[in-house]
Amino acid sequence: MTMRTAIGLVGTGLLAAFSALVAYAQDSSEPGGNLRFEGYPGAPEIQVVSRIDELFFYPCDECHATMEPNPDIRELDTFHDSEIDHGKGRIWCHSCHQLEDPNNLITLLDEPVGIDDAHIVCGGCHANREKDWYFGAHGKRLVNWQGERTVYNCTHCHNPHSPAIEPRAPKPAPPVRAGLEREPGAEHEHTPIWESHEVDDEP
Amino acid sequence: MSKAGDKFDQARRNFLRGIGLGTAAAVAQPAWGGQTFQDALADFFQKDYRRMSKEEIDEALGRIERRVKAQYDVDIDCQNTPPQENVVYGYAINISRCIGCRYCVHACVKENNLGRDSQVQYIRVLELDQGNFNLEQSDHYYDPEKVPVEGKHYLPVQCMQCDDPPCVKACPVEATWMEPDGIVVVDYDWCIGCRYCMAACPYWARHFNWTTPELPAKEINTNCHYLGNRPRPRGVVEKCHFCIHRVRKGQQPACMEACPTGARIFGNLLDPDSEIRYVLANKQVFRLKEDLGTEPKFWYFSD
Repeated sequence: MTMRTAIGLVGTGLLAAFSALVAYAQDSSEPGGNLRFEGYPGAPEIQVVSRIDELFFYPCDECHATMEPNPDIRELDTFHDSEIDHGKGRIWCHSCHQLEDPNNLITLLDEPVGIDDAHIVCGGCHANREKDWYFGAHGKRLVNWQGERTVYNCTHCHNPHSPAIEPRAPKPAPPVRAGLEREPGAEHEHTPIWESHEVDDEP
Repeated sequence: MSKAGDKFDQARRNFLRGIGLGTAAAVAQPAWGGQTFQDALADFFQKDYRRMSKEEIDEALGRIERRVKAQYDVDIDCQNTPPQENVVYGYAINISRCIGCRYCVHACVKENNLGRDSQVQYIRVLELDQGNFNLEQSDHYYDPEKVPVEGKHYLPVQCMQCDDPPCVKACPVEATWMEPDGIVVVDYDWCIGCRYCMAACPYWARHFNWTTPELPAKEINTNCHYLGNRPRPRGVVEKCHFCIHRVRKGQQPACMEACPTGARIFGNLLDPDSEIRYVLANKQVFRLKEDLGTEPKFWYFSD
């Protein structure tokens, strides 16, 4: 390697490092610039089913446009329930909803995201679940196993204000084989044999 | 066999065929067990699925459609969708997500034209005490008001589509085999109903039709496959086939589609980017009765 190429290489390297630094400084100067989470490398492409049409109160600013944003934790006397069964008392409305523009959600980094990108907000705390969801080990895929992946968003199955899945009635149990009857216990409760059979007391 | 023997065999076949065709022509139209005499006769001489030519299979499909039409007055579309290249199916169930609601069981009954009164159901959901994995202490007749019940967990069991299936080895007439895409199928027209396969299966996944399956004509699923969900006769063994009529066209199995919690994950084991491969690589998976060496393509995991 000649001296000239060596200097050239070092120079190029320095220049590249400098420009990267400038780019970083620019990014971090404007909030939300390049910080937004764009998914995991290698994760397959997914189509997320929109839920906006199913929301009764959406768009939020139909009411909230005329209201002053109020960050205080308080008893709500309007349509919304102030009991949030999520986060064990750690979170309040604007932990997830953007205070200034209530049509949006907000991440932990104060970036606004749309209602249909709720998984970005959920993933802020539930990162492991979110990763599983991106790769298909959590959540529900629709229609096909092959081809384009269409999945439900987190909030499709989990009510974000009370995310535990509600118990539901099971479908009917399988029939017992013809000619047989169910014994009164999977718990194996039998009457003692000396009670169910007549015992001849006389010797 | 010697050449003379061959000749004799051929002559015998021609003779039998002659008799068959002659009788068929003679008895032409009147219904014969719900079928025309020709169809009944052709059914009788129908070969094993794997030995039929494409034309013969097409004729058999036509006969199946006509039989269902005569029996139920329903037009089904019985197909013979071939396996896809480079696809082997695998299934995984997240038992942390399963709530025991049996939606899968009943979606399967409808999808696969299972008899409504018979005891045949391909999926059994076992209820176990939390921390207990003794299958002998499980209960599949549980019927509480709401599931999941506190302190219980649920384990859906169906055909594991073993890669080394003991049922296939047990069949004396080779009416059951593993397809190239890994699905263990049954030729219901070749099955003699001996139930050896049921005895060989360690998962209680095979079921015998003691009676003719009772299907409400309105609820018959008309999207059928020869090796899958076409209406079956009495006296044959059947089992889960991963909804062969759906998955070979890229659709999900009916149980997966019905699952309200997304506990069921299905896909191609040969595709490194598939969900099932992600689960196998990143979750603690196990299989039922793994020590038997049947290599099920059906995994369970919890997270």
